[in-house]
Amino acid sequence: MLETIRILNTTLPALYLAIFAVYLIDFFKDKPALHNIKRIFLFVTLIIHTAYLLFWTIHFDHPPITTKFEIFTVLAFSVAFSYFLIELSSDIRATGAFIILFSLIFQAISSLFIEDLIDVPEVLRNRLLGLHVISALLGYAGITISAVYSMLFTIQYKRIKLNQFGLVFNRLPSLEMLEKLSVNSIIVGFALLTIAIVIGTVWLPQAFPDFSLLDPKLLTTGAVWLIYGSGLAVRFTSGLYGKKFMTFSVIGFVAAIVALAASGIMGSSFHQFNK
Amino acid sequence: MNIIGTTINHHTASIEQREALHLSKNEITGFIDILRREYLSDGFVISTCNRTEIFGLPMDNDLNVAKLQDALLEFKQVDGLSNKNFLNFFSCGAIKHIFSVTSGIDSLILGDSQIHGQMKEAFQLSVDMNFAGTVMRRIFDTAVKVGKRSISETGIGEGAVSVSYAAIQVVEKIFSSFENRSAIVIGAGETGELAAMHLKDKGIGKITISNRTLSKAEELARKVHGEIIHFDDLKDYLHNFDIIVSATAAPGYILGYDDIKTVVKRRRGNTICLMDLALPRDIDPAVAKLDGVFYNDIDSLGSIIDQNIKRREKEIPAVEGIILDEMQNLFAWYNTLEVIPTIKKIRDFFEDIRQEEIEKIRYKVHEEDLKKLDEMTKRLVGRLLHNPTIRLRNVAESGLNYQEVANYTSVITSLFEPQNENEPVKKS
Repeated sequence: MLETIRILNTTLPALYLAIFAVYLIDFFKDKPALHNIKRIFLFVTLIIHTAYLLFWTIHFDHPPITTKFEIFTVLAFSVAFSYFLIELSSDIRATGAFIILFSLIFQAISSLFIEDLIDVPEVLRNRLLGLHVISALLGYAGITISAVYSMLFTIQYKRIKLNQFGLVFNRLPSLEMLEKLSVNSIIVGFALLTIAIVIGTVWLPQAFPDFSLLDPKLLTTGAVWLIYGSGLAVRFTSGLYGKKFMTFSVIGFVAAIVALAASGIMGSSFHQFNK
Repeated sequence: MNIIGTTINHHTASIEQREALHLSKNEITGFIDILRREYLSDGFVISTCNRTEIFGLPMDNDLNVAKLQDALLEFKQVDGLSNKNFLNFFSCGAIKHIFSVTSGIDSLILGDSQIHGQMKEAFQLSVDMNFAGTVMRRIFDTAVKVGKRSISETGIGEGAVSVSYAAIQVVEKIFSSFENRSAIVIGAGETGELAAMHLKDKGIGKITISNRTLSKAEELARKVHGEIIHFDDLKDYLHNFDIIVSATAAPGYILGYDDIKTVVKRRRGNTICLMDLALPRDIDPAVAKLDGVFYNDIDSLGSIIDQNIKRREKEIPAVEGIILDEMQNLFAWYNTLEVIPTIKKIRDFFEDIRQEEIEKIRYKVHEEDLKKLDEMTKRLVGRLLHNPTIRLRNVAESGLNYQEVANYTSVITSLFEPQNENEPVKKS
């Protein structure tokens, strides 16, 4: 099984690269023959990725959520799977390249640095940890996808405003659709982050004796949650629409990345699992 | 194929000249009577704002196409036009032209789908007037097929090529659907009407018309099942609309920067599309700077049209491929018509010999044996003629090489045509 895991670990970035290339070619060329092929290709890759995650869990006796580089492969899967669901439900097929790019980057980082890890502390085999991490990752996948759609909205907005009716104008969906996809992704991402925080709040003090509310990771996650929560609250109460909300989504995403990076740099956290 | 044709169109004549020769449906009916009486056994006449064309099979093989042109000029009593304003077509060229017209690649607006329907109407009129025999009907059917294939198999009809439709194309990139949207069309002229019709076709949720002359607004509103707003009250209601299309003949702006700024405020930042299809413009272009306001005028929409035309131009080779393909099919069928009499001639020739030989032995053999001999000789002749018949048909069906078919039929005719035995053998 270890051999299979190693083969899949090498194959997955190549598969995501191939999907990214197919989506990109279709974006520029708009070949009807590629419309269904790329979706089938993505579906097959997701099945292979699922098999990889299962094999890993069985072989190493823990889900791949205990180190940063294990988490990156789950994040790559979450982004690609979420996009697959969005494409199926909205039938918007021209935006895949911009989202799959993130899966490609996350999987490439994971495949390069992931290590075999058999001995993990008992606390990290807890089921609540699984739920906590998975919901947090899906939450981050949601805000990542939202940021991509917000950026595409901004690009399309400028194209229409400046009367640049070229390839990008023709291939990207309408502003209303891009906004809808972005907002829905934020809502789902925010809900999942909330679940992750709730589970963390209940489980972390029990699991880690040195638990502290002033832990950098907790503070940054809380800040990200507050940013998105307040943005959504303003949207639904005072009407934060269109370009303003899309700008907010991009800023929120950048803030989330900076916050996560900062918390990682600050180090010394009980919340680091295996270092 | 002995088809001939002549056309006066946007390539050869000005709009005034084309208008002068335009034929109404009644006039076409009258003109076909003249053609049938004096010049053509079958044919059709089409007349649109961009072309008047006459095509058909001449009664006399030596018919000069100029006579058709003279007949048309005389029928319409038009001066100032000469044969130089016409293009003439014969045989393959005529068929290719008919197919090019039907496919839209000969249209003033490349890929114009309207011409397909107009050609179909012209063909139908010809059929209704018994002015179309087997060959002409086959040409009509194939031309219609070319038109359909061009639309479904190529991108010749894709993309907006009119300002009003280009405006709708931009709006489609702002709103994902029209169902929950409201639009107002200011100006009930030709452009306004076209825009209103496009919006209706796209399923706009609510459409309102405003025009200085109320009766015109009411008339257009009836056509698109819309409502009306008095022109003087326009500014009080503008904030209710997601899409504003303006196409009036006003000499200056009817909506200024401050008017639209007020609208944006009242809409609390909700997106608004302003499509200014008027010349001179109706809306101050400075409104484009406002957040959430999308403004387009004829110039900016023109770039969409240019792109779409270029995209359509790239499709011309594909359409020409379809035309060639269907021409081959048509001529294959037509050549088959040419060889059928030859095949019949050979078969008759062999059958006559067979029967003569059977007659010679009729009283020399028993009746049962005669029956067997009769059947055997029938089979023999059938088998002997099978390959030449198939070969001849294949040559005919293989394509456009009429000369090859003519050579084969000529050789066979001269080889097998029964001759008077007293007639001296001709030496070449």
